Amino acid sequence: MLRGADIVLRCLRAEGADLVFGYPGGAIMPLYDALEGSGVRHILTRHEQGAVFAAEGYARITGEVGVAIATSGPGATNLVTGIADAKMDSVPLVCLTGQVRTPLIGTDAFQETDVFGLTLSLTKWSRLVRTLEEIPAVIAEAFYWARSGRPGPVVIDLPVDLLKAKMEFRGPVEFHPQPRPSQNNAEPVFADTAITLLQNAKKPVALVGAGAKLSGAIDQLRQLLDHLQIPTFATVHGLGAVEQRAPYYLGMVGMHGTRAANMALDETDLLLVFGARLDDRVTGDPIRFAPNARIVHFEIDPAQLDRVRPCELPVVGDLAETIPAFHSVLNRAALPDWSAWRAVACGAERAEPDPRGLAQPTKQFLDELFSRLPANNVIVADVGQHQMWAAQRYRFSTPRGFITSGGLGAMGFALPAAIGVQLARPDTCVLCVSGDGGIQMNIQELATVRRLGLPIKIVIVDNKYLGMVRQWQQLFYNRNYAETDLSDNPDFVDIAKAYKIHAWRLGEDALRQWPVSQETGDALERFLKSPEPELLVFECHPEANVFPMVPAGAALSELMLEED
Amino acid sequence: MQVFHIRYRNTQGTLMRILTAASRRGIELPYVQAEPAGHGHEVTLLLEVNAKQVGQLFRDWYAVVDVTDARAGSMKDFEQYTAWAMPHPPASAGVQANSAAASA
Repeated sequence: MLRGADIVLRCLRAEGADLVFGYPGGAIMPLYDALEGSGVRHILTRHEQGAVFAAEGYARITGEVGVAIATSGPGATNLVTGIADAKMDSVPLVCLTGQVRTPLIGTDAFQETDVFGLTLSLTKWSRLVRTLEEIPAVIAEAFYWARSGRPGPVVIDLPVDLLKAKMEFRGPVEFHPQPRPSQNNAEPVFADTAITLLQNAKKPVALVGAGAKLSGAIDQLRQLLDHLQIPTFATVHGLGAVEQRAPYYLGMVGMHGTRAANMALDETDLLLVFGARLDDRVTGDPIRFAPNARIVHFEIDPAQLDRVRPCELPVVGDLAETIPAFHSVLNRAALPDWSAWRAVACGAERAEPDPRGLAQPTKQFLDELFSRLPANNVIVADVGQHQMWAAQRYRFSTPRGFITSGGLGAMGFALPAAIGVQLARPDTCVLCVSGDGGIQMNIQELATVRRLGLPIKIVIVDNKYLGMVRQWQQLFYNRNYAETDLSDNPDFVDIAKAYKIHAWRLGEDALRQWPVSQETGDALERFLKSPEPELLVFECHPEANVFPMVPAGAALSELMLEED
Repeated sequence: MQVFHIRYRNTQGTLMRILTAASRRGIELPYVQAEPAGHGHEVTLLLEVNAKQVGQLFRDWYAVVDVTDARAGSMKDFEQYTAWAMPHPPASAGVQANSAAASA
């Protein structure tokens, strides 16, 4: 006879989940009681949001399912931001929440919330477990849906009495979904149509999103792009999927993308989209997005098709299948010579935007830092100006080398996510880049870093403002810096020291000379090579801005290269 | 107005996910009828939607793991439902009344 809690842990192990993140509480106590000897390693964070972001970091770097655990009520509600984040960015995530005893459900009992109802619109699938016997099947199904198709979050709500009850356990089960109508059209008929569109195109381009990485189709995609040799760019989550030195690669597209990428997208007459949702940060004004283009959209999730703009040819299916199917037919087709178009698109102005702007020392700092990274590295960026500077400056060594909260844009993501990344990749240099606003949203996780002795390198780009919001206030709200002033920030070096993490500060003055002094360079080297956690506060100009920038709702062609 | 028929396996939350696809877009739900149908269940919805929303709704419904079929129906289907001919419904009336009060 095993307790429900023991059965849950055995089923987790059967799904390969032997590392989980969580925070205990009343309704989930039986699960914690069963942890010892279960073979499941639990990472205690200092807040449930830290746990779910850490689980996300683990899932994003490995491609495996991340697991977060919380108690009922406030524990469960603290997971919600992470669940929404996982939904937006297609992260496989299983959240286990404790629930009040079965007879108390619906009575507004202590620490009862309807987490099932709360998360319905944020999850791919969810279950409130009602009997002990269904636990193995529920866990198997949860992992199946978290992994399958477009990955995403699922929630299992576990009443505490079922976790304590005992039954004969025959072992984990497998889930076999019932068949449903196939929407996959990855057969040659689509490829013929796509090739006809290509043959008639004068200015084709390719846009690459996260789907290329999630499907494990990087090699197939790169081979296809090498064949096509058309101007190519990536969303923030697609960065790293395309070989950065490829002569046809134009960098990041969208609100803070390169001028070359945005202009090519504005001019194209055929847009091939590989695994991207085409959200508003990529399209700008959807009416004026790629105004002359026909769209061929390769996408695993049919819910993403035609969401913003109708596409001429939806290709629904796993990119690992649809790209090779397309390429195999393409090999037999005669394609036009697009070299003149490629030369125009790739020859577009690539000079540094805003070279005399206040952000220049920060960009130099990031260049200096990134140039010293070992080959085996991952950047985990928070949300804000530093995120976009990092996305613009980082030179990718691996497809999953840049991890950030892209769709939801959840401040506070980076530090706990870096914990998950470092645990999954102990030999990798994990660089957490955050801002003075974002770091304070989950700063308590410095305790988790210290407790585990994780050698995460934390950089706080400190401009003493909520920088991105302030930038919008400057540019679009007549410099009315309403409630974005953080000049009364605490001393982050002192805070890190209180957590027994070595910390130091670097000012813009150190970046004024080029190249940087031997002393500064050596300090950065020591920082990155330390076997211990380290924190560096880089003091950035308060009014530094991120350029290029496409104002919200504007066309991509209306991007600003500097402040007017 | 457009009629939709969505077939689904009646697992926890599936009907709510179907309805949420409409409500998250601010589409009111003046008529909802869910009932057993064959080996599963079917919900009939009457929604005020534009062409773009129709496409989005179908794709969202198919993304619900226990939805097995979604199709548009005919308004003739509604002739049997006398309730639909009545003034309708509290949610819409409330919104209008509040709007009038707010602008008064």
